[in-house]
Amino acid sequence: MSAEALIMRGVTRDYPVGTAFGKKQTLRALRGIDLSVRRGQTLGLVGESGCGKSTLAKILLGVEEASSGEVLVEGRPISEYGRLDRAGLIQPVFQDPYSSLNPRMTVEAIIAAPLQVRGVGDGASRRRRTREVAAQVGLPDHLISAYPSQLSGGQRQRVAIARALIGEPKILICDEPTSALDVSVQSQILNLLHRLKRELDLTMILISHNLAVVNHLADEVAVMYLGQIVECGPSEEVFARARHPYSDALLKAVLPPRAGARLPELHGLEAEFPSPLNPPSGCAFHPRCQFADSLCVERAPERKGDDHFYRCHHPLGKAGGEITARPAPETV
Amino acid sequence: MDGPILEVEGLRVDIPIDGGVLKPVRRVDLAVARGETVAIVGESGCGKSLTALSIMGLLPRNARATSDCIRLNGEDVSKASRRRWRQLRGDRIAMIFQDPMTALDPCYRIGDQMFEILRQHRRVTKGEARARSVELLRKVGVPTPEERLSQYPHQLSGGLRQRVMIAMALLCEPELIIADEPTTALDVTIQAQILRLLRDIQRETQIGLVLITHDLGVVAGVADRIVVMYGGEVVETGTCDDVLGAPLHPYTEGLMRSIPVTGETARGETLGFIPGVVPRQSGELLRCGFLERCPYAREECAAGPVALRDVGAGRSMRCVLPSDDGVRDPDIWTRFESEEAAS
Repeated sequence: MSAEALIMRGVTRDYPVGTAFGKKQTLRALRGIDLSVRRGQTLGLVGESGCGKSTLAKILLGVEEASSGEVLVEGRPISEYGRLDRAGLIQPVFQDPYSSLNPRMTVEAIIAAPLQVRGVGDGASRRRRTREVAAQVGLPDHLISAYPSQLSGGQRQRVAIARALIGEPKILICDEPTSALDVSVQSQILNLLHRLKRELDLTMILISHNLAVVNHLADEVAVMYLGQIVECGPSEEVFARARHPYSDALLKAVLPPRAGARLPELHGLEAEFPSPLNPPSGCAFHPRCQFADSLCVERAPERKGDDHFYRCHHPLGKAGGEITARPAPETV
Repeated sequence: MDGPILEVEGLRVDIPIDGGVLKPVRRVDLAVARGETVAIVGESGCGKSLTALSIMGLLPRNARATSDCIRLNGEDVSKASRRRWRQLRGDRIAMIFQDPMTALDPCYRIGDQMFEILRQHRRVTKGEARARSVELLRKVGVPTPEERLSQYPHQLSGGLRQRVMIAMALLCEPELIIADEPTTALDVTIQAQILRLLRDIQRETQIGLVLITHDLGVVAGVADRIVVMYGGEVVETGTCDDVLGAPLHPYTEGLMRSIPVTGETARGETLGFIPGVVPRQSGELLRCGFLERCPYAREECAAGPVALRDVGAGRSMRCVLPSDDGVRDPDIWTRFESEEAAS
């Protein structure tokens, strides 16, 4: 078996969009995604809304099919798995635990549902397993017969995580797992995810707009922009030395909750996020990039680098290149 | 005039329910000076939004606000008539809501929504209203403002919609703006721009700004002073740098310990957290409201309600702990995690 739990090669996803006057257009949500995640690793996926993060998650979950390209899960194309097999292998944790849990089912029924659907074990063994997983995610015993409305946000998210874990999946896809929660509760869920990942050797895809959260949990980070991965590499590398101007801007946009922190100056990002219906020529980021020149307008940059790769004609921090020094972060 | 733009004293909000009264806001004092940004910080259910709505006179019908006074630029508005409120809102005091998609009316063009505010409060011709709207849209960085006037909210991006909201708030040159989570619905890159815009406009016009947020990063970026709320009470106040630099109340400390900070927190390091949940606010408090969740709790905390006390240097705290002990255990907020894992 290969070391990669997940491989995507040249994955695209197009959506046909009809306009008001019947003109057919194509929305290119994913434009050639290459990605691999090693077993037991966590990949953080960051980018602004509309960049294709959620489409990518849907393809991995089998909710959507790729228009072209290859998705390998544990070495086999995802399309070869049956629906139930796939569900046993990959499980999601959604953003909002208020809408992702059925309000008319008890916690026990919610958590056990994946086993029930797949017909695993009998009632007694399922109940045993439900209690086991509930304990694992730190859900108190007395809540097992409660309804979601009786739980706090953090407890609900624990239920959602327990439901994802009960079938012993290999891969967990967390789409903004903490952004609907209060700060003091967020950290509990982050701690929990980190502990589970270690204990169960889970492979995780963590989708988040919160870069501090991604940096905290992810071994690798991939930065998406308009349906492409513009930079990907080990978290320490990317967070310390971002090569793509967009990754750099995203990192600078984070506001640390510390005394004396100042608002960042974001050069060029005032421009609108481009429409995926009509992506810019050349490098998709060029209308918002302060380093863009005619080359960027004409030609899409190739992928450069191996373990830490990026797509940019003028990467930051390149010795001997045209732009050697990063502009000093301006503060006011 | 040099007095504060806004002075709130002893604000309480009561919501009668079956078999009792919810008390989501309990005797809150607040003062905002000209050109000052005061951030009200707290988790959901702490009473920060209801405090803001009371100041705007926009409480839901079933809620009752009482206060010793709410003074807006010297005028006590706590007993103002509905007619007077309609004159004040949008004119002297304006609000920016979290989600511009729901705050803007989807059925009306941006222009019509802006003209309406001006015509409500000022004697202006349609041409003047139009000119003023274009001027403000340009000021808040909306490209091609003339064209935007004839567009509907759904035709604008989230960041642009929030800029339109800000322009609308500024139309009548108010003295006070209340911004309730103005950037929570936006991407991080847009968030930084909107905050910068708010700050620049505020510096220029010397408006008083009340910023309501749960995001301490946003607070660090723009606030002058912080008011931390918990369970309907103010639990700590001080300048932004003082409070974030050395939080005094255990709740503020716990919040700060819960947030991973790039470059400070090691990857995968156990984060602190506040155990338990925000309790339901009913009846009078007979002891410290944070007692059940506080790792520093001691006997005297249960003896009676804790008063907000002045600890000097413009700071106050609602806690019996000494303000200058400096011997608190920084790991206390992570200890529960190991207990939880062990059980």
